[in-house]
Amino acid sequence: MSREDKARFEQVVMPYLDDAYGLARWLTGNRADAEDVVQEACLRALRGMAGFAGTNARAWTLAVVRNAAHDWLRKNRPQAVIHVDDLEAIERLQSGAASDGTASADPTPEAALIARAEEARLEAAIAALPVVFRETLTLRDIQGLDYREIASITGVPIGTVMSRLARARGRLIASLGADK
Amino acid sequence: MTATDDILLLNAYIDGELDPAHALEVERRLVNDPELAAERARIEALRRVMAERLPREEASPELRRRVAALVPPRPIAAGWRAGRSLRWSAQWGAMAASVAIGLIIGSVGTYVATGPPGPAPVAQLVVASHVRSLAATQPVDVASSDRHTVKPWFNGKLPQSPRVVDLAAQDFELVGGRIDVIGLVPAPTLVYRRRLHLISLTALPVAQAAAAPRRAIDGYNLVEWTDADHAYWAVSDLARPELEEFAAAFRAGEPEP
Repeated sequence: MSREDKARFEQVVMPYLDDAYGLARWLTGNRADAEDVVQEACLRALRGMAGFAGTNARAWTLAVVRNAAHDWLRKNRPQAVIHVDDLEAIERLQSGAASDGTASADPTPEAALIARAEEARLEAAIAALPVVFRETLTLRDIQGLDYREIASITGVPIGTVMSRLARARGRLIASLGADK
Repeated sequence: MTATDDILLLNAYIDGELDPAHALEVERRLVNDPELAAERARIEALRRVMAERLPREEASPELRRRVAALVPPRPIAAGWRAGRSLRWSAQWGAMAASVAIGLIIGSVGTYVATGPPGPAPVAQLVVASHVRSLAATQPVDVASSDRHTVKPWFNGKLPQSPRVVDLAAQDFELVGGRIDVIGLVPAPTLVYRRRLHLISLTALPVAQAAAAPRRAIDGYNLVEWTDADHAYWAVSDLARPELEEFAAAFRAGEPEP
């Protein structure tokens, strides 16, 4: 790697190390693995610095981290990522059923229950989400990226981002809004 | 429009992703559709609770070190191979009071920098202290972004506590302070940060000011200036214009009340 690449790396990637770590942490589920993923992602970013078009450094960095995390998951948690497509098909069926089910429910106590969710319960509910939902939710609600950025990071159309986000939130609402 | 589309649009509405025409449509639906309004309450409760309860994830100092090790300060990596270490090794053997600084530079390899010995120019001693602080577990002995915590820490340790200026508004965050020994003189050093670059600012009695200030040593930029009582040395791997901006901001900064 050239000196220019290193200089660019410092400007492009280093400022977003917290975000990089945050995403890796939510995807791998633990601190140590997240740090390994970030280090691997930084190595890839250094090697791939030429591929950065110079528009959105944060989104570019997170895309590299996201891909490194997915490779890590494929290797270490294969059951977590294998059936993404199947899962989305199942989700579509389930969501139809779920919205029928909640239609009659009184929303107010549910929203109140959600508002009272403790950190541990919240973390566990997010950790239980399938990877593609979890990453979309993390990018949007924890890291505050917009739909277009999330679509470019995760490499899917905006419609898919919207549906994954809605599904992720729907699942969390169902799990946190239910009385323990 | 299906129920699923409603939910997608509602989510996008809450996220501020809808154009005005669609937003208006969702707002009208929210008035007339209690079920949709209830879903909005649930989604907003969820978003609020995530924002409030989930801790902000931060890369640990250890991870920062690991990543920083992938990109060592450029001029050092280039400079050491040029035989400078040989010359310094010779001096090393002859001098008694020396400081050894080990810097592990990632996959590139390990470079050992031997700090300037004995009565070396102040510039070298100041840079050596800065480099040593980067290799330490913590670059400061008192870690605080509050100058009212940092300044009193020096009381009782040094005859005079240094001037501490709050430069957060100029994007130079106060990290803390430590005491460096420059020559044989204990000197207060403040540490500021811009992005990931640390700046060591050492205040010395005016008598120790350099006759001919140096602009950079081993890839670390130096800016030096004096006021009535002190000679100030700012050292950082920050680009020179930014370090000069720091110096100007510090000089112009309001001293603490």
